[in-house]
This record gives sequence, C-alpha cells and structure tokens, in this order.
Amino acid sequence: MAKDPLAEAGFYFDELNKLRVLEPDVSQKTSELKEECKEFVDKIGQFQKIVGGLIELVDELAKEAETEKMKAIGARNLLKSVAKQREAQQQQLQALIAEKKMQLERYRIEYEALSKVESEQNEFIDQFILQK
Amino acid sequence: MSVVNVRRQRSNDNCAQKSHKELVSCVGWTTADELYSCSEDHQILKWNLLTRKFHLVSKIGRIEKSVEAHKGAVLAGRWNYDGTALITAGEDGQIKIWSKSGMLRSTLASQGSPVYSVAWGPDSDRILYTSGRQLVIKPLQPSSKVIQWKAHDGLVLMVDWNSVSDLILSGGEDCKYKVWDSFGRLLYSSSSHDYPITSLSWAPDGEVFSVGSFNTLRLCDKTGWSYALEKPNTGSVFSLAWSADGTQLAGACGNGHVIFAHVVEQHWEWKNFVITLTKRRTMQVRNVMNDAVDVLEFRDRVIKASLAYGHLVVATSLQCYVYNSRNWNTPLIFDLKEGTVSLILQAEKHFLLVDGAGLYAFSYEGRLISSPKFPGMRADILNAQGVSLSNDTIAIRDKSDEKVILLFDALTGKALSDGKPLTHKLEVMEVALDQCGPSTERKIALIDKNRDLYLTSARHLGREPKICKIGSMVHCMAWNDGANILCGVQDNQLTVWYYPSAVFTDKDLLPKTLYIKDGSEFSRTPHILSYVGTKVALRQGDGSLVYSSIPPYPALLHEYSTSARWEDALRLCRFAKGGTRGTEGEALVLRAFSFDPSPPSTSGKSLVAAWLFPESQSSLSLPRVQYINFIKEQPSKESSLAHMLMFSGQVQEAEATLLQAGLIYQAIQVNIDLFNWERALEMAVKHKTHVDTVLAYRQKFLQKFGRKETNKRFLQYAEGVEVDWEKIQAKIEMELSKERERAANASVRSSVASRR
Repeated sequence: MAKDPLAEAGFYFDELNKLRVLEPDVSQKTSELKEECKEFVDKIGQFQKIVGGLIELVDELAKEAETEKMKAIGARNLLKSVAKQREAQQQQLQALIAEKKMQLERYRIEYEALSKVESEQNEFIDQFILQK
Repeated sequence: MSVVNVRRQRSNDNCAQKSHKELVSCVGWTTADELYSCSEDHQILKWNLLTRKFHLVSKIGRIEKSVEAHKGAVLAGRWNYDGTALITAGEDGQIKIWSKSGMLRSTLASQGSPVYSVAWGPDSDRILYTSGRQLVIKPLQPSSKVIQWKAHDGLVLMVDWNSVSDLILSGGEDCKYKVWDSFGRLLYSSSSHDYPITSLSWAPDGEVFSVGSFNTLRLCDKTGWSYALEKPNTGSVFSLAWSADGTQLAGACGNGHVIFAHVVEQHWEWKNFVITLTKRRTMQVRNVMNDAVDVLEFRDRVIKASLAYGHLVVATSLQCYVYNSRNWNTPLIFDLKEGTVSLILQAEKHFLLVDGAGLYAFSYEGRLISSPKFPGMRADILNAQGVSLSNDTIAIRDKSDEKVILLFDALTGKALSDGKPLTHKLEVMEVALDQCGPSTERKIALIDKNRDLYLTSARHLGREPKICKIGSMVHCMAWNDGANILCGVQDNQLTVWYYPSAVFTDKDLLPKTLYIKDGSEFSRTPHILSYVGTKVALRQGDGSLVYSSIPPYPALLHEYSTSARWEDALRLCRFAKGGTRGTEGEALVLRAFSFDPSPPSTSGKSLVAAWLFPESQSSLSLPRVQYINFIKEQPSKESSLAHMLMFSGQVQEAEATLLQAGLIYQAIQVNIDLFNWERALEMAVKHKTHVDTVLAYRQKFLQKFGRKETNKRFLQYAEGVEVDWEKIQAKIEMELSKERERAANASVRSSVASRR
C-alpha cells in the first residue's frame, strides 16, 4: 500500500472527511483520556462529598460522646455527693429527732407529775367521802 | 408557755427570701417591722415586713461619716443602750469607744489576737469581749477590776449580754453555746453541735435566745434548754437579730438569704383553760372541762399575753385585748400608746402593763387606774422578778440601787409611806407581794443576793418595818392566788409557808407552819411558774413541766379566818385532824392562826386554839395558851389590844396604845413585867403616880436574886418613898376597877350608839 503523501505531510482525514493535523488514533485516545479524566474528577468529587459527610457525622458523634461523657462524669460526681447529702440529711433529721425525743421526755415527765397529782387528788376525794 | 416554734415567715413556697448575691453578714432592726441587712455584695437592703418591699440603700443612701477605725477589718460594733456611744472591735485586737458623731473617745483594750465579738453590760458601764478562748468583762472605769475566764475549748466567735436578765451568752468554734451570769459563773453548757456556733442573740426580754449555726437555727430558754430546732437550708447563719418587741427574728445567711422567723405556739394555762398561740395573730382557747374550743383572732401580731384571775390580757402591737374567761367572744379593746409591751402582770382586780415608756395599771374594764413614776425609771429593763402587783400595791425593785424596793399605791400611783422606799441590807433579787387580805396587812416577800427569803410589811406607818428572815437557800418563790400562802424552792425541795406572817408573831412558830415536799421528785433546780389553787407548776432545769399539789386545808382555813367563820374553821380542823396523813401541817397553821394579833376579837380564834391545844402537849404552846387566856381576861379593849401587841413583840406599840388610852398604870406594869425598870420609873415619875409600885417590884426582884440596889436613880427615889405592899395592892385594884368601869361605860355607849 502506498504511503499517503498527506499522511507524510502530517495531515489526515477523519471519518467525516475533515482535515486534521492529529492522527485519528491519537485523537481518539486523547478524547478517551479526557473522558476518563472527567470521570475521575467526578468520582473524586463524589468521594470528597462522602468523606465530608462522614467527617461531619463522626464529629457529631464525638460531640455527643463528649456530652455523654460529661453527663456520666456529672452523674458519677452526683452519685458520690448524694451519699454525702444523705449523710447531711441524716444528720439533720437525727438532730431533729433528738430534739423531738427531748420534747417527748419532757412530756413524759409532765405526764408522770400530772398522774401523781391525779392519784393524790383521788386519794383526797376518797378520804373526804370516807370521813363524811 | 411551754413550746415555741421557729418558722420561716412570709414564705409561700417555704423558702427564705433570696436577695443578696453574696453572703449576708449582718442584720439589724430599726422598728418592729423594718430591717436592714448588709452583704458582701456591697449592698444594704432595707426590708419592710408590712408592705413586703425592700429598698436598696447603698447606691442612694448617704454615708454620713466614714472613719478609719482599725488596722484590718472591723469585726464587731455595738451601740450602748441609750445610743450615746459606739464600741468597735477589730482584727488588730483593739477595742475602741466612739462618740455618737464618730469621734474616738478611748481605746479600751488592746490584745494580740483579733476580737471577734463585743457586748455592752446592762447599765452600759461594762463591756464584754472575746479574747481567743476567753471572755473578758471590763468596766469602763479604768481602776475597776477586770474579770476574765476561759469560756470555750475553741475560739469564741460570738457573745451577747442581756440587759434585763443580766445573763451572758457565748458561742464558739468548739460547737457549744454557754450561758453565764455576770460574774462569769457557768449556768448552762450545751452539748456539742455538728458545726461551730456562728451567731447568738438574746430576745429583748431576756426570756429566750436564738442560736445560729450551719443550716441550724435554734430557740432556747434562758436556762439553756432548747424550745425548738429548725434546719433551714441557708448555710451558716452569720448574724441574728430580734425585733424590739421580741416576736420576730431575722438571720443573715451564708448563701445570701435573709431568713425571718416568728415565735409561735406559746402556751398559757390557768385552771381549766389552755391557750395556744397557733399563728401570729390567732389564739386557740381550749376548755379542758368540756373540750370546747374558741379561736381568737387579732388584727396585729400578738406580742405578749397573760392569763390569770379569770382574765386573758393580750397585747398586740397596737391594741390591748382583755377577755373574760366566761366569755371569749367579746373582748374589751383599747389602744396602746407604745407598741412594745414587755411585761404583763395580773392581780385579781387589775393588771399592769410595762412598756418602754413606763408602767400602767389598768382595770379589767380597760380604765387606766394609775401610772407609777419614779426618778431614774427604766421601764424597758423591768422583769417579772423585779416587779410585783397586788390589788392595792405595786412593788418595784430599784435598778439603780438594788437594795431598794419602791412601793406604790396601785390605785393612785403615788409612792407609799411618804415616798420612803423599803431598803434591805443586801441586793434584792426577787420581790413578790401577797395577793389577799386587807391592804393594811400587805406583805412583801423578797429574796436577796444570798438567796435568803425575807418577809416584811409593805404598808407601814412612820417607823422602819421589821424585815424578818423566813428561809434560806431559796431560789424562787410565788404567792398563792387565793390565800396568803407562799411557796418556794428551797435547796431543791419545795417548801410551802402556810402562814408566813407567823414570823411577826413568833419566830418559833414559823417552822411549824411549813410544809415541805421532798425534792427527789424534781431534777435540777426547778423554777416556780405559778401557784394557783392547790397546784404549783414548776419548770425543771431540762425544761419539763412538773406539778405538785398542796393540801387544800390551809387555804380554806385562811378563807374562814378572813371571813371570821371560826365554827367552820374548827370543823375543818377536826376533819383534817381525823384524816390519816398530811394533817399535821394544817393543825400547825391553826396554831399560828390563833395567835394572829391583828383582829382584836379573839373569841372564835381562841375557840379554835382551845380545841387544838389541850391535845397537843407541846411545851411550846402551853404558856402561849395561858397568855391568850390572860389577854381574853383583860378588862378593856385597849389593854387586850396592847397585850396582843406585846404578844407579837411590839413592846413600844403596846406601851403607846396604853398611854393613848390613859392607862398609865398598865403601861408602867408592862414595863415592870419586862424588867424594863428604868423606863417604868421614868414614866411613874413623869406622871407622878405609882412610883412606890415600881420601887416595890424592884425591891422584890432584887431580893429574889440576892442583889443590892446600885442604880442611882432608884436609890434616890427609894429615900423619899415608903414601900407598903398593902397600899400598893389596893391602888392596883383601884386602877383595874376604874378601867373595868370605863370599859363597861364605853360598851354601853357604843351599844346605845349602835341602837340609834
């Protein structure tokens, strides 16, 4: 097959019979490359988006974990202090109970004294009736 | 009063008022309803409890003067009672006195450690301050003695000194509060609390005090035991202040709250009525006989109340209400001039109100009867121990000279016995007037500093009254409301003087009229609250109420004797004697009774005596009976009265009575009988009769003892006078018949007069 003089000069015809300075193969490859590149960029973009979402999610998670952690610490401290609070409360109640006990004791003594007075008075009444 | 509760006032959600951002360090009242509080947030708040508002003062309030007082912080400052001097104490350990205008008067003390608290003494002439673990009382006069004692095991943080009761309070880091008297003797020490005592305050009347600590507010009696405990969630209570009427309490709290407390649930008891202050303005009256309940409402808060003699007297901040126990629905109401009644005393016919300005006696109809006044009166520091009221007399211990008791007529307010007060030889601690009998026989009982109990007449004419000791180691006393019977706590036992006036007749009789109840049923030093009817109510050292019943016979006897129902008295005596126990005392009181010299007619009394004495073989009583009979046989009223006076040892009065009646011989004879020769001779010479009688008796007396006459006057008169016994006897007989004749005439005359 004879060499195309055009080809030699570096000119080619493509399928649409337009004159080209690039070899059709190369041209095809180039356009393929371009396509692939585009695809690649798209994919990268998509990837980035996905990763961004992920990061966001993880961040949120971290934050939540942090608050939960704080909550846990707080609860743990609260728990610790509840014991102390109870102790204080107990102390207070005990003081109040002691106070009431003292009052009860006072009432008991008063009651005893009054019972004694009552018995004395009854005795007097009996004596009075007997004498009459 | 038996139970008092502290409650947070004005708190719908039961939470104290939050107002400051930082801890509140100090509170103080200006009037009964206005309070200032200061805080570390640099603000002073003014609280008005009536309108429920408060004002900020720090930004607009003008600071009058600011003085650099101490190096380091000023820890305490207090005005004296009349507001003329300010005392400050600081971290630099110095105590300084300032004038009203802020001029430094003197630096009273200086020490190496900070002074945390300082207080004025009752007369503003002494100060009390803290020095580490010690308390120091320092008089303002530089030469006077300083008292210093170790008070607590930790730093003393707070002190207070009450001007009415003269008691000292201290609280410290050893978590205890203690009550001291002004000599530094410990009266009460509390058990250890959980936290240091950060504040203390006496109520103005000195009956109760409040104690503040971490989350704790306590109300205590002056004897130390605790009425009520509150556990408000406030942090440490740094300062406590009572309002002037002693009903409201404000506390400055560590968390910025100011708490208000109000004293409620006081009890009053009389016979079958129990009254409780349920709310600030509401009282509940319970009749325990039929369980009927009445509720009394007042327009203002109740400040003081008193229940006795069938009447309830309630003083609110503006008005006074008088209820009769028969009718609780319609009180008698009248307005009060000053709002802060500090004391109410009751007698059968009227009552006495004491406020800051003076004393006022009102009848139960609400009429002002009198208002006794005396120079140097400070009515605000009078307490129930220092004032006593009876139907006709008011007795007040003079605060400026405690040996002196001022006596006033309750109906006119004028001083009795020409304004001459009763003066005892020692400081008087407690006075009490008897409640019954005629005003001329009013007796006053007093306890002095040595705790000796004395009795004397409140109304005396001219001469100094006899002050007779009737008991020792007496802590407190009370007269019965219906008879002149006195009871007292004597060295831990309850002693009842059935007839204390017996001491004026004969000291030996007094012990026989005593009724002593064993003290084993009472614990620590009981205090008598009341003696109504046959029931004595006592408050023990631990705060419990105990009652003791006294046999009813003596009171009945008193009643019979005052109404001269001697036959009934006699019957009662027979009845009491026939009883099995506790009757001896009654019989003995009778003995004393029969010697009561006051009413001249002794027929009924001697009847009782005659019945009593044949049985009792006591050697003590026989000569007395004879003397009583002798008195009965006296020919005239005057001489029996004179011998009655003699019997009770009032010789001079007896003589005066006889002389007044013109019975000169009898007067001379009285002196002869007493071996009072000089006086007899003097009178005989003066009246120019019976000189020979005196000489004759004198001779007889000297012969009997085998002595010789040495008295110059007797020797002198013996020379000129012949002693003839027969003549003397005849003369005496003549005198006696003369007297008889006169007495007969007098009785005829009086009977004629009565017929007309």
